[in-house]
Parts: sequence; C-alpha cells; structure tokens
Amino acid sequence: MKERVWDLPTRLFHWALVLLIALSWWSAETGRTSLHLWFGYGALFLLFFRILWGFLGSSTARFSAFVRGPGAVVEYVRNRFRWPVAGHAPLGAVSVLALLALLLIQVGTGLFAMDEDGLFPGPLAYLVSVGASDALTELHEELFDWLLILIGLHIAAILLYRLVLGRNLLGPMITGKADLPRGMEPMRPATPLVAIFCTLVAIAATAWILFGAPPLGS
Amino acid sequence: MMVAKSACALCAIVLLAGCKAQEPANQANMVIPSAETQNAASAAPLTRDQALALMKEREHHMDAFGDATKKAGNSLKASSPNATPVREAAAAIDALAPKLLSWFPRGTGPDVGKTRAKPEIWQKPEDFALKAHDFEQAAMQFDVAAKSGDLTQITATFDALGKSCKACHDIYRAPKKD
Repeated sequence: MKERVWDLPTRLFHWALVLLIALSWWSAETGRTSLHLWFGYGALFLLFFRILWGFLGSSTARFSAFVRGPGAVVEYVRNRFRWPVAGHAPLGAVSVLALLALLLIQVGTGLFAMDEDGLFPGPLAYLVSVGASDALTELHEELFDWLLILIGLHIAAILLYRLVLGRNLLGPMITGKADLPRGMEPMRPATPLVAIFCTLVAIAATAWILFGAPPLGS
Repeated sequence: MMVAKSACALCAIVLLAGCKAQEPANQANMVIPSAETQNAASAAPLTRDQALALMKEREHHMDAFGDATKKAGNSLKASSPNATPVREAAAAIDALAPKLLSWFPRGTGPDVGKTRAKPEIWQKPEDFALKAHDFEQAAMQFDVAAKSGDLTQITATFDALGKSCKACHDIYRAPKKD
C-alpha cells in the first residue's frame, strides 16, 4: 500500500527549482541577462516559500523533522541506511540543507551582482559599492560550479540508492507516494490554506527585494 | 579633439533638426574623420607591439565605460538620486566616447592578441562606425541631461545610452571566457 511521503508544494518546489536552475544556467551562458534576472527572482520566490514551508508545511517538509546532528548520520550509516521515519533520512537531510544553503548564497550574491556593462544590475546592487558588486558577481559565477558538484552528488546518491540498495527515490518525488515499511508513520499533511499563506508571503518578500528592499537605499 | 567634438555637436543639431533622411554612409563619413581614426587608417600598419598596447588600452577604456555606467545606474536607482556621481559618470563617458572608433584600427583583432573584439568589426566597418557614432551621440545627450539635472531626461538618456552599448556588444563582442 502506497503512503504519502512528499506533499504537492514540496514536489512543485523541487521540480520548479530544477527547471529554474537549468534556465538560469542557459541564460547566463548565452548572455540573456534580463531573462537571467527573472529566473533568479523565480528561484528567490521558491527559496522563500521553501523556508516558510519548512516551518509551517507538512511533517516531512519541516526542518524540525530532518535537521539532525552528525550523530544521526553515523547511526543511519551504521544501521545500513535504514531509518524509521518517513521523509528525509539523515544523509539525505545533509544534502538538502547543503543545496538549500548554497542556493541561498547563489541567489543572494546574484541580487548584488551586475553584468560587466552595468546594464542589468541585480535589484540590491545599488546598495553596495561597484567594487563590492564586482566581487560578488565573481563569487556568483564561481559558486555555480560548486552548485553543479552538489547537484551531481545528489543525482549520484539517487542512482546509488537505486542500483545498490534497490530503493526508488525518484518516483516518490514525482508521485508523492512510496511503499513504507509496516508501522512507519506516513506524512501528516498541512492544509492548503497554509500553502496559500506561505505563497503569498513569499511573493511579497520577493517583490520587496525586486523593488530594491525599501526603505533601504533612500 | 575640440574640433571633432563641435563637428559632432553640429551633426547632432542637424540630426535633431529633422534631417533624418540623410544617407547612413554620409553620417558615417561625417564622423569617421576624427584625428585619431584618420591616423589609424592612413598610417602604416601597426607593429605587433603597438597593436597589443592599443588593445590593452582599449580594454582599460571599455572597463572605464562599464564602471561609470554602474556608478550612474546605482545612483539613479536610489529613491532620491545623488546628482554628483551621475554627472561625473556622464562626463567621463562623454569625454571618452568620441575616441572609441580610434581604438579599433585594423590589425587589433583576435588574430593578433587576446581580445573579445570580433573579426566582424573589420568586415562591416560602416555598420561598426555607425554604431560607434550612435554611442557617441547617446553619451553626449546623457551628459547634457546630467548637467541639466532633469531627472526624467537623465533616466531617458541613460536608458538610450545603455541600448547603444548593447547594440554593439551583442554583435561585435565575443562572450566572456575565463
């Protein structure tokens, strides 16, 4: 019997982010800077949403359910990659947190970045000096390679779980459902109203950044 | 340089007066003979060292345009813009803009040294000169607006200036490689 593991908002977040990262990469490599900025705003909105959802969302989406110490990771590996609770296992949680943190830095540096001609400044670039903006732009470019490495590890781990442990992690991220061992508690969903609330707050926060974070810079 | 500048100003006045039916080639002819371009065109071909030095100087000047644009853009974005950095940036761009064409003589392309200037610049010299001229005009108008202090004019001419940068870069500049 398939049980719910990931709610719809979490899955939409995941796949929209995959799409936006790909589009951001493409637009940056091909010099489509104004498009690149819009993809960045999209990613910013998704990250705002995911952080809120991490506090108010369904049980498996909450940080309180999967942020654990290194002890849990050791225990999980010793226990041959078995974990009694549905959702992110301790090692997967490290991957999620690392990806979220790096994406926040990536989008954060992008907000202060500028193209070399100064024609497409990030929405917060005007709050810092041109020198600082140039340095953050460089960081923004360099960090992307690290993001690609983390994404590579993420995909490699999913493949290893499939090929070595015989477990399908990709399917549940698409359908939201998985076969859970007997007695394992499935996801406790949050209400749609909470999802709407998180979406509206994330839109407002993104718009505020887009307008240059007033009253800063007045 | 003053002569070239007043010639350009005159040219701009003529254009503004509505004589837009002029042949593009004529416009280009009116602009190209700035003292430096003529030297570059008529003088003996550059030695490799001269070419490399010019290319380095060119990159430096282009960076200066970028820096000034960034500073002006930053100031204009504040809710109550500070006029001084905008004026300084506009003056810096306007002072250098008429010289741009003289930094691109034949023999300073990617076959000679490391540069993002594309070979198309020397394959379509008339179009390149025309775009350089547009940029020079836009720089002058931005400077005039910046000196006037009229924010609406400043924003409009700044946007037009950005478009004139982009018009050329999109076609004649190779992507950044690192």
